[in-house]
Amino acid sequence: MVINVKNLVKRYGNLIALDHFNLEVQEGEILGLLGPNGSGKTTAINCILSLLKYDKGTIEIYDQPMSPEAYAIKRNIGVVMQNVAVFNELTVYENIDYFCGLYVSDKQTRKKLVAEAIDFVGLNDFKKFYPKKLSGGLLRRLNIACGIAHKPKLIILDEPTVAVDPQSRNNILEGIMELNRQGATIIYTSHYMEEIEQICSRIAIMDKGKIIAMGTNEDLKKMIKSGEHINLELLNPEELELSEIKSLPHVISAELTDHQLVVKSSRGKNNLIMILDHLKDQNIGIGKIYSEPPTLNDVFLEITGKELRD
Amino acid sequence: MFLFNYRYRLKCIFKDRQLIFWTFMFPILLATLFNLAFANLSSSDNFKKVNVAVVQNGELDQNPAFIQALDGADNLFVVKYTTQDEAAVLLSDHDIDGYITFDPDLNLVVNQSGLNQTIIRGFLDDFKQSSATIITIITQNPSALDNGILEGISSRTEYLKAVSANQSNPDPVVNYFYTLIAMTCLYGGFLGVKEVVAIQADLSDVGARINLAPTNKLTVFLASIMAATTVQLLELLILLAFIIGVLGISFGDQLGYIALTCAVGSLTGVTFGTCIAAIIKKGEGLKIGILIGSTMIMCFLAGMMSADIKYTVMTKAPILGYLNPANLITDSFYALYYYNTHTQFFTDILLLCGFTLLFSSVTYFVLRRQKYASL
Repeated sequence: MVINVKNLVKRYGNLIALDHFNLEVQEGEILGLLGPNGSGKTTAINCILSLLKYDKGTIEIYDQPMSPEAYAIKRNIGVVMQNVAVFNELTVYENIDYFCGLYVSDKQTRKKLVAEAIDFVGLNDFKKFYPKKLSGGLLRRLNIACGIAHKPKLIILDEPTVAVDPQSRNNILEGIMELNRQGATIIYTSHYMEEIEQICSRIAIMDKGKIIAMGTNEDLKKMIKSGEHINLELLNPEELELSEIKSLPHVISAELTDHQLVVKSSRGKNNLIMILDHLKDQNIGIGKIYSEPPTLNDVFLEITGKELRD
Repeated sequence: MFLFNYRYRLKCIFKDRQLIFWTFMFPILLATLFNLAFANLSSSDNFKKVNVAVVQNGELDQNPAFIQALDGADNLFVVKYTTQDEAAVLLSDHDIDGYITFDPDLNLVVNQSGLNQTIIRGFLDDFKQSSATIITIITQNPSALDNGILEGISSRTEYLKAVSANQSNPDPVVNYFYTLIAMTCLYGGFLGVKEVVAIQADLSDVGARINLAPTNKLTVFLASIMAATTVQLLELLILLAFIIGVLGISFGDQLGYIALTCAVGSLTGVTFGTCIAAIIKKGEGLKIGILIGSTMIMCFLAGMMSADIKYTVMTKAPILGYLNPANLITDSFYALYYYNTHTQFFTDILLLCGFTLLFSSVTYFVLRRQKYASL
């Protein structure tokens, strides 16, 4: 096991930031830590990395207790911080070289690793640039390069795509998947569910310092009643009896707003066909139709009663 | 690892333009301004001859001894022989400080009191006293004249003599430059603050990244402090060369001890900054504010703005002088310049070393913590 966290408790005064937090991370997986802002993701990461003191619990990495002096463990960890953590006085190359040098002392090996990292994040044309001259997306790439240049076995990325444009975001996500393909175990924290869904093999949903659900994307969606969202544009909505729709099998809720009917149904076969048949019997014309599978937000909503992005 | 960090910290410091301005360019600008402001301070102390007029009349002609005495005082007076009316006009136009007339007694006419008038008065009193003595001798014991008594009356002996301990010429403005050097030493605190912020996870993101690395934080920090001290010492030596070589301010000729003072002062300044950065938990702005504020207070008490303050502190509350690193640095230079022993100098240096040790210890006890309560 790569990481094993048991009953971690972290308090800030009266506020409980981590409430008996448990986490197991297996080798080779991309684990997503998903949760709204303030749910405790970054605190959990900082405790795991022995940056933060905690009140209770145990943390093991590669079956060894984690501590600030656990240099052998630290050597295998790469961290990409939420904020860009580079020296403004050093160039792109120098920054990567410096942070890589804290892990790798051999100059020749480091030179090779730095070149590979620059190549990996696509900063070859910006090697001599100072951070202030880089765009937000390029800065994020530099931040990633500084964290992974020493080729760590475990990479922790804490919201690496905050304030990044969509194109750079896609590049970053592709890069993370590539690192995983190269053998790295990855922990990825974000409050963007789309990113988590896209890259993570397993997802832990956090709220109020706890993991409230954990599993694969499919596992999590199976945990909830909600099956799909069916959106229908009605041509003559005045003919519709909403209560009849609500009484159909598997329908959890139905809402009519102007010409738009939104039906949430539980898992079951032929939900859409049943609704369409009913509307046809009532002589209600239909414009556009589309159906969505449940999202992680639905999972979060159903478990906590609030939206993920609240 | 030490050299690797040292090299990169040197790069970071040298490329921080704002930092280099405050720790290097600003003291040079201030030294130049000091030099401009104090350029006339020394020259104003140079003695200017007193302008005096002597009214030409019959009485004066009957006192050739007075004219002779006045001619002998040509290093004191610029003498103009004139009429009574012209002398009065010269006096009212402030072309002369006073005029002397015999009518028949020796009189001085002035229109104000001051140093120059006192000098003329002093000369006249001295002449009158000598004349009276000679007349007394002539009337009461004329044979004494044959024994050379006149030479004894006219000669003056100085019983006090000014001696410079190290062959340096006393200069009233050097203390201002000493305090400037002291200020520059303590401005090394900027570098200290920068290095602590760069290594503390709760103060900067790069600090967090460094704390995550498999390296001993104190090794990294030691390299940072050495880099900061190197830069500070280099800046200080350039400033010193500028003050001595370009501005012509004398620091005496004991270059080895001057360099020692700079080295110890730099270390004190840098560790002063690390100490402030370590114990003040608020933002970097506040740390810098406290550093500047405390440095300026210390320099003020060391006589940077007025030499009288330094004197007042040393007479009214001397302990304050020994607790003030800026004063100790200033005094070290002062001791090298004026004293012919090194007792005071080494006392100051030892006290500075004590401060450095204190600041370093406080910094160490705060920084040795490996985990943070919050980030």
